[in-house]
Amino acid sequence: MSDGTIEKLKGAFTSDLVYRSEDVPLTCIPHPEELEDTLHGLMKLNGLIIRSLEEVAGRGANAVTYRAGRKYGHEVAKYFEKMENIEEALKELSDILRGQFSFEIWKPADKTSYIIQENGSTFIYLVFHDCIVRQTLRRNGQVQGGPLCQTLYGYVVGAIEEITGKKAKLEIVHTGPNACLKKLILQ
Amino acid sequence: MIEIRVDENSCNGCGLCVKDCPMHVYELRESLSVPVHPENCMGCLSCHEICPAQALEHKGVYPSKRHYIDIRVCEMLNRVI
Ligand code: SF4
Ligand code: SF4
Repeated sequence: MSDGTIEKLKGAFTSDLVYRSEDVPLTCIPHPEELEDTLHGLMKLNGLIIRSLEEVAGRGANAVTYRAGRKYGHEVAKYFEKMENIEEALKELSDILRGQFSFEIWKPADKTSYIIQENGSTFIYLVFHDCIVRQTLRRNGQVQGGPLCQTLYGYVVGAIEEITGKKAKLEIVHTGPNACLKKLILQ
Repeated sequence: MIEIRVDENSCNGCGLCVKDCPMHVYELRESLSVPVHPENCMGCLSCHEICPAQALEHKGVYPSKRHYIDIRVCEMLNRVI
């Protein structure tokens, strides 16, 4: 490689910007639009990790990712206010998940309450709209409902358990290209 | 509320949307899909993906964020189309 080429490559990493230690960054650098390649790379990598995990660990992959998600949920939610009221807890959860996942509490038209009792179990339906997991899977042509989705289930369960101090369980009802329906089972 | 329209000229009565919809929104009537319970639709758009005739239209669905679309590929496709 010639000196000229090296200088040209190095030139891409110099700027006239002045950094002061007291400067607090108020914007992301670069602008999010310029992060498209980074995002695609990250999604591709995540998809490949999950695919390899499935190949090596088989059905055990779900347990690994669920556990990782649950730990993350506990970790993130421990700084949030503790409360027993499940509706308040869900509101807090939506703050925790902001930017990565968005969901609404949902019920079929014939139900009078969002807290539904059926066949001896009590649950709340959650419709997940924005979801970085769904985007990653569809970006890579992978099916929904597998180990990467388990990370999200674990994440939600861990956060709810941390906020309410009670055991929780999340069940997948349906996965779609634009939204997914889940059941938060209250124990 | 979400409004659902089935294009009667396109629907071939295969019934895939009836089977796939988790909220039992559709029924087959005289070989046509009819949205009998649109009030139960939660906007997953699975029916759009599965309908081979592209006969469905939903109004009022929240469009989830789609970062996975490769903008450069879409731009290229648009030029070709
Ligand atoms: S969008 Fe989902 S819930 Fe609504 S009609 Fe289609 S499959 Fe059913
Ligand atoms: S999937 Fe499409 S073509 Fe088949 S019954 Fe439903 S609307 Fe008609």
